[in-house]
Amino acid sequence: MTVVGLRLALLALLLAIWEIAGRLVNPLLGVPPSAVVPALRDLLRLQSYPDLPASILLTLREIGAAYALSVAAGLACGFMLGMHRLAGRAWGPMLAALYAVPAVVWYPSLMLFFGLDAASKIAFGFLLGFFPIALAVLAGIRQVSPQLVVVARAYGAGTVTVFRRVMLPAMLFTLVGGLRTGLALCVIGVVVGEILGSKAGMGALINHAYGLLRTADYVALVLVTLVMVVGSDVLASLLERRARRWTD
Amino acid sequence: MIVVLGLWELAARMGWVDPLFVPAPSAIVPALMRISGGALAGLADTLGKTAVAYVLSVVLGVSAGIAVGSVRLLREVLSPYVIALYGIPKILVLPWIVLLLGYGTTPAVFYGVLHGFFPIMVLVMGAVRDVDRTLVTVARSLGATTWQLYWKVLLPAIVPSVLGGMRLGVVFCLLGVLVVEMFAGVRGMGYVLGSYANGFQAPELFAATALVSVASITIVLALDHLNEKLSRWRG
Repeated sequence: MTVVGLRLALLALLLAIWEIAGRLVNPLLGVPPSAVVPALRDLLRLQSYPDLPASILLTLREIGAAYALSVAAGLACGFMLGMHRLAGRAWGPMLAALYAVPAVVWYPSLMLFFGLDAASKIAFGFLLGFFPIALAVLAGIRQVSPQLVVVARAYGAGTVTVFRRVMLPAMLFTLVGGLRTGLALCVIGVVVGEILGSKAGMGALINHAYGLLRTADYVALVLVTLVMVVGSDVLASLLERRARRWTD
Repeated sequence: MIVVLGLWELAARMGWVDPLFVPAPSAIVPALMRISGGALAGLADTLGKTAVAYVLSVVLGVSAGIAVGSVRLLREVLSPYVIALYGIPKILVLPWIVLLLGYGTTPAVFYGVLHGFFPIMVLVMGAVRDVDRTLVTVARSLGATTWQLYWKVLLPAIVPSVLGGMRLGVVFCLLGVLVVEMFAGVRGMGYVLGSYANGFQAPELFAATALVSVASITIVLALDHLNEKLSRWRG
């Protein structure tokens, strides 16, 4: 109880400091919370940015496409590398090495290749989301006890049954965690891509507000984007919990 | 890998892909020679900023992690905030950082620290929390002072997590610095990459990308090597 109280007190203190500091500095740079509220209201009433719904929809569609591609390719690649010992041995280290490169170095190439439209954002979201999913599948397969598979086979289980009854439950925990991380990274990839260069979507609106020094609108747009980001993660964590209950 | 390179070369030579966007590997090697002067200077600039950001991230992250992790009330109050700050996409505050700090080195270092600090702090915080309580109790009952407790019990126990955080943090710091350079850079590798992309100089762009990737992989491998040596030394 006291902990919750202290957390709220800290939040209130931070908001108060922000309010005071925001009023002291140049209004083009600092936006106190009291100035954000009207900006947010204007934004949600579609007065400051009438194309807000279209931008949100576009960004969500980019995220959806990037995530669908990441899941499909990540699962396929992970299972392929996990099932075939040789392929896993040969390509696994390369996957890990690529993971050690900050992904943003690929973005200029993707932008050159796919242009400024949605495709380059989808590609970058895919690139970020793909790795955790593929690596989670690899780690998950390694967790499956080979004895269980052998026993199931000895009792006459086919490949599909072994997969559904033995492997999937054993690796689900890791797999679902990877799928959740993948979604979070897909979202980040799309947002980063939009802010680094785009013509439409939330990132383009944020850049527009920033470029015109409409700082209050910028903060309001960031808050809306944050709601999307946090919302997607909350959704993923609910699904994760369901999946985990199913295995128990 | 050779197969992939061969297919790539073939695809570019046969005109299946537009060489304006996807250059052949054989076109990238001369490009690497061509850009090496400017790109190496950019790389040095970027790595310099990353080094500053990295040192700051490690020092601040480890000390904040120990401070917050070892005081229970502090940990319980702050951990949701720390986790939330760790999780949200920091790119959203980047325009504001650039407004406040301008172009150049300062925002890059600041943003790099913002990326590197939280993973290190979260890892160290968790490690301090999970230090075996019995060890602490025994040390206390044998008359260890608070200083001795931190230095002799806590610190050795969290070394693996600190090293893990240090390995994770360096990629994050480099990422942060590169993003700032792409978004609002006047120097550095991120700026170089961005300007090659804008100028449709695909061979140069690919060469520069390869250069950054190799540098990053080398740094991570070197840290891994150091890590291994240190853990062997610890026994």
